[in-house]
Order: sequence, then structure tokens, then C-alpha cells
Amino acid sequence: MKIVVLLSAGRHRVSGQPAPVPVELQALRLAVELGGEVTVLHAGPELGALADALGHGVGRLIHRVIADGDDPLPSLMAALTDNPPDLILAGRSGQGGEDAGLLPYSLARALGRPILADAAGLSAGPEAGTLAVEQALPRGARRRVVLRLPAIVTVHPAAPAPLPFAFAAMRRGVIESAPGISAPQAVEVEERPYRPRPKLIAKAAAGASAAERLKAATQAAGGGGTLLVDPSPEEAARAILAHLAALGLRRDG
Amino acid sequence: MTRQRRDPRAEERQQLVAGTLRRRLDRTQRAAVAAPVIAAAPVTVTEAAPRLRVIAEPAYLVAVVPDAPGGRLTPHDRQVIGAARLLADAGGGAVLALVETPSDEFGAAGIDRVLALPVAGYDPEGKAEAVAAVLDGLSLRHALFPDSADGGDLARRVAALSGEALFAGAENLSPKAVTRAARARKAEQRRAPPRLIALAADAVAPHAGTRHEAAMLAFTFPPRAPGAVLAAEFIPADPARVSLAEAEFVVSAGNGISDFDAFRALATALNATPGASRMVCDAGLMPRAAQVGASGTVLTANCYFALGIAGAPQHLQGITGCEHVVAVNTDLHAAMIERAGLAIVADAQQVMPALLRLLAGEDA
Ligand SMILES: Cc1cc2nc3c(=O)[nH]c(=O)nc-3n(C[C@H](O)[C@H](O)[C@H](O)COP(=O)(O)OP(=O)(O)OC[C@H]3O[C@@H](n4cnc5c(N)ncnc54)[C@H](O)[C@@H]3O)c2cc1C
Ligand SMILES: Nc1ncnc2c1ncn2[C@@H]1O[C@H](COP(=O)(O)O)[C@@H](O)[C@H]1O
Repeated sequence: MKIVVLLSAGRHRVSGQPAPVPVELQALRLAVELGGEVTVLHAGPELGALADALGHGVGRLIHRVIADGDDPLPSLMAALTDNPPDLILAGRSGQGGEDAGLLPYSLARALGRPILADAAGLSAGPEAGTLAVEQALPRGARRRVVLRLPAIVTVHPAAPAPLPFAFAAMRRGVIESAPGISAPQAVEVEERPYRPRPKLIAKAAAGASAAERLKAATQAAGGGGTLLVDPSPEEAARAILAHLAALGLRRDG
Repeated sequence: MTRQRRDPRAEERQQLVAGTLRRRLDRTQRAAVAAPVIAAAPVTVTEAAPRLRVIAEPAYLVAVVPDAPGGRLTPHDRQVIGAARLLADAGGGAVLALVETPSDEFGAAGIDRVLALPVAGYDPEGKAEAVAAVLDGLSLRHALFPDSADGGDLARRVAALSGEALFAGAENLSPKAVTRAARARKAEQRRAPPRLIALAADAVAPHAGTRHEAAMLAFTFPPRAPGAVLAAEFIPADPARVSLAEAEFVVSAGNGISDFDAFRALATALNATPGASRMVCDAGLMPRAAQVGASGTVLTANCYFALGIAGAPQHLQGITGCEHVVAVNTDLHAAMIERAGLAIVADAQQVMPALLRLLAGEDA
């Protein structure tokens, strides 16, 4: 199977220095462990720290050179239609650019391929030409989806950690650079330094007493409660199970 | 002027809670102390029903696409509806909900119109096509999504399908501007609200106050070809593997529990993650990692089941985010009983075996 992993130019979460995006290196591991011919593709002005990806288990990196601020979509499209892969893996969202996670969806639309989000594991599907994806859902739940190839899959941070870095593997790796397609994009957003805003919490009325503020901070907005005083244990147990069933927590019971 | 002298003994007598073995005072009562203590007649508080607001001729429509698993709105969904109300009320618009299964809680949450999407099973592309069809067909001014796992995926699909700009992960919203974090959270982007917005959690307050009509709308959707998803199977989280912080359902033991084998069996039978209060962890009866509260784990669970827990403020701080609380306690005046949606004043040591028997009977 031919797999292409998309790498974006990332910045380190804390230091702000150029660095590969962790979730994209996790995608690289999923690709290597699925087996087949794995290539890495990046469109951007320079490779910089991305050459490190070669040390994480792939042999070949394709770089399409475009100007800073250009839209990478046309260059990626051209590189992917030259030699169409069966599977394209991308990160859930980048880290250091727009970080909106929109690129894989635009690419899927432009290539006319289906896309599936948030893979935490990949394996061969039950039939040839299919892929079984373990999709990460919130709260540790999973969804096992069987998908027809070719497809685009984005990877979730719950996937296994990246393969360890090997310097010799990076030295052995091949980098193929070629000019990309210039596509300047209009800037329509205003940008300023980030200002953290307080998260929304339950608010008590201004001037409330300490006891009221504590109540607002510890009590969720809930409807009026039901109170059962001194029921028999059986009665209590039935009430509890009925309540849990009404909340949808007794799927299997 | 003669000032009346305080009578601390009378104050204390009034704060005394009757019917408990231990002597306890309820200091949150702030009744006038000077008045002689009369047996308090039960006060019936008649809460005014929220006013119904009908928007008959909306100037424009603002759509929300809540996750609403099983038709039940999540807290994040309610915040998105709050944001939609902000955008709609700025110019006489109405809020339209696009959902798979309509339910009766939409009116109180602030929704004027409801449209049912024709989606069966896990078919995100089909749902996105239906939303994009409504976006064009009803010329919606905005469509808002929760930027959650499924909602965020849907928003990006709709953006790619319709070619509209999506403002993903919006952290602040007003009718004039939306902002989001970018460049590894080092920069903030800001613009006027575009047509598609995916809202981050805990950014906007949910709607409160007025009730809305939640009238059903009809719409003819274009037919849909089958997608690339051949099969999808939901695998619930294994409660033994998920961490307490991200567990969906936590059952927790306090100082009122002495039979921990029964408690652990109950947690397994209910398919819940076990937790405990600090008293229990201090005594070494449960691991420290199970401690719920200010100095333990702050939960994000949907439901919390407290057995024999008094509900100290430090403990309640850990369950602020839990929407549903069930409590079993022998003390009618415990703070946990007041906090609970279903409160049972009974001996937890006897309720646990009854629950286990009932669960075993269900399985058999
Ligand atoms: C700085 C600080 C931080 C703290 N952090 C935390 C924290 O993170 N988490 C935490 O939990 N605590 C914390 N505490 C401790 C907290 O104040 C309480 O002491 C603790 O939560 C009480 O635990 P409990 O409710 O299990 O015990 P108790 O207060 O002893 O309450 C036991 C309850 O069980 C009921 N009961 C007794 N027998 C039965 C029965 N047979 N059936 C049913 N009910 C019964 C009683 O009526 C009572 O309400 C902290 C305290 C401090 C000072
Ligand atoms: N210039 C690029 N070259 C290659 N892949 C990219 C590029 N930009 C983004 N991607 C991929 O698209 C994913 C989402 O990026 P973004 O839409 O910028 O958040 C990233 O994790 C990468 O896998």
C-alpha cells in the first residue's frame, strides 16, 4: 500500500522554535506500522526542523517549495495527483500556523476522496482495498470504522507515541525538493498577541456573600432534585437504576 | 436608641438541625434572630414559569448544529445555543436547530425552530451534505457548531463542501467580532463573525431566561448516494482504563462505606469508574489516585454517584462539572443530598447489596 503522510511546519508548543508537530509524527508511526511504501510530503518555504522526520522511520521526504504565506493546497494537490497514494494521513490540526485543521478537509474535497477524522489506530480492513480505523472519541470511547480506500485520515493525539528518533536513519533518508505552485492567499483576519481569557465558570450575582459564591462555584445548574427519605433498600436500588437508565448510562443493562 | 443585645444561645438554638444524632448547626440560615422562634411553616415558593418568547417573522436565521447524542443537549451544545441567541437577538433573527432526533428540551434551551436532518447511523458526510443543503436553501446568516470531536469534524466538512470560510475554535464571540487562538496559541485572530463558526467549550454562557417555541420546520433534502464508510461500531470506554478525570460515570465511596468489596463489585457491575473521598483515601481503603475533589481529581463526568459522602466544599469542588448527581446518605442534611438530582436518605451499606442483587437479576 502506498501511504503519504502530510507534515506541516510546526512550532514548539512552549518555546515557539520550529519543530515537527507531535501528532504528525504519531501519524508517521501509524503509517510505518501499517506497512507499505511510506513517503512524507511538505509544502512550504523551507524544511528546517522537518528533516528530523526522516529519523522517525521513513526513508523519503518530498518537499514542494512555495513562498511564505502561499496556500499549500495547489502544490499538495499536484504532488498527490502525480502519483496517487492509497492512503493520506494528516494531523488533527497543525501547531504554529492557522491551526484550524481545515487543510485535510479542503484536500479531501479537491481530490474527491472521503475523509475520516481522529484515528488512534489503523489496521488492514476485512477485505482488500479497505481500512479499519479505530477512531478516538471523547472520554476514552472508540469507534471502529471500516472505510473504502483511497481515503484521507486525520490522526488524534491518543494514537501511540512517535517512533524514537535515530540519527543514522535521518542521515540515510532522501529529500526530494521541487518547486511548488505559487498561490498567494488573501489575509482577512486581524492578528495580535494572544491574550488568555478566563474560562466560563458558574457566576454568582455581584455582591453575593461568600457562602453564595461558594455555592455557585460548587453547584452545577441542575433541575430540582428528587428526594427519597428512608425507602427500603430494594426501592432505593430500583429508583437509582431507573434514574441511570433515564440518563442513558445503562446501555448494556 | 436602645440596641437590642445579641443572644448567642438563641441564635444557636435556631441554627440547630433537628433529627441528627450528632449535634449540628446550619449557619447558612440567615433568619432574623430577634424574632421568637416559631415552628417554621413550610414556605411554598412558586417560581414563575419562564416567559415564552415567539419570533413570528424572523429577519434572518442563525442555525446551530448541536451534537445532542440521543437528542439530549450537552453543556457545550447549550453554550453554542447561547452564542446563536447572541447573534440572532442582535438583529431580530431566530435560532434554528438542525438535529437528528428532536427532543422537548429545545424550547427551554432557547431554540425557535427545529429541523430534523435525515441521517441514519454514523454518516458524517451525509450529515454535512444535509447541513450544506439547508445553508443554501434557507439562506442562513450563520451556522454554529460545537468544536467537539463530532461537531468539529462536521463543521470542517460543511466548510469544505460549501466553500465558506470557517472560524474554527472560536474562544470569544459577540455580534461584532469573534476571536480564536493561532500560531501554537501565541497569536489571537479576530474578525467579524463569518458564516460558519465552530465554538470552543466554555467560551459563551448558555441561554437563560426566556423560553422559545421550538416549532418544527419542513425541508426537502436532496437524495444522497452511499458514502465510503462501510461499517461503524461504537466501543464504549473500558472504565478500568480511562482516567478518573475523563470518565463518563463515576461511583464514589465516602466515610459512610465500610464494605469495599461490595463497593468495587458495584462499580464493576454499573460499568463505572470508582472514586473516593479524601477520608477513604487517607485511611488507605482506596488508592490516592481515586480521590475526588480540590486536592484530588476534578471530574468532567456526566454523572456522579456518591455513596456515604457528606459533601464537604473541597469534595464538591471536584464535581462542579457533573451535570447529574445521585447521592445515598443517612443524613438528610448532608450537603451532598442537597446537591443531588436524585437524593436517597438510606443506609448505603444496605443499598449496595440491593443494587448488586438487582443488577445480577437483570443479567440473568
Ligand atoms: C485543604 C483540604 C483539602 C481537601 N481536599 C479534599 C478533596 O480533594 N477531596 C475530598 O473528598 N476531601 C477533601 N478534603 C476533606 C474534606 O473536607 C472532608 O473531610 C471529606 O471530604 C469528608 O469525606 P466524607 O464525606 O467521606 O466523610 P464524612 O465527613 O465522615 O462523611 C461521611 C458521610 O457518610 C454518611 N454516612 C455514614 N454512614 C452511612 C451509611 N451507612 N450509609 C450512608 N451514609 C452514611 C454520614 O451521614 C456522612 O454524611 C480536604 C480538606 C482540606 C482541609
Ligand atoms: N504546508 C503543508 N504541507 C503539508 N501538510 C500540511 C501543510 N499544512 C497543513 N498540513 C497538514 O494538514 C494538517 C492540518 O493542518 P491545519 O489545517 O494547518 O491545521 C496538518 O497536521 C498537516 O498534516
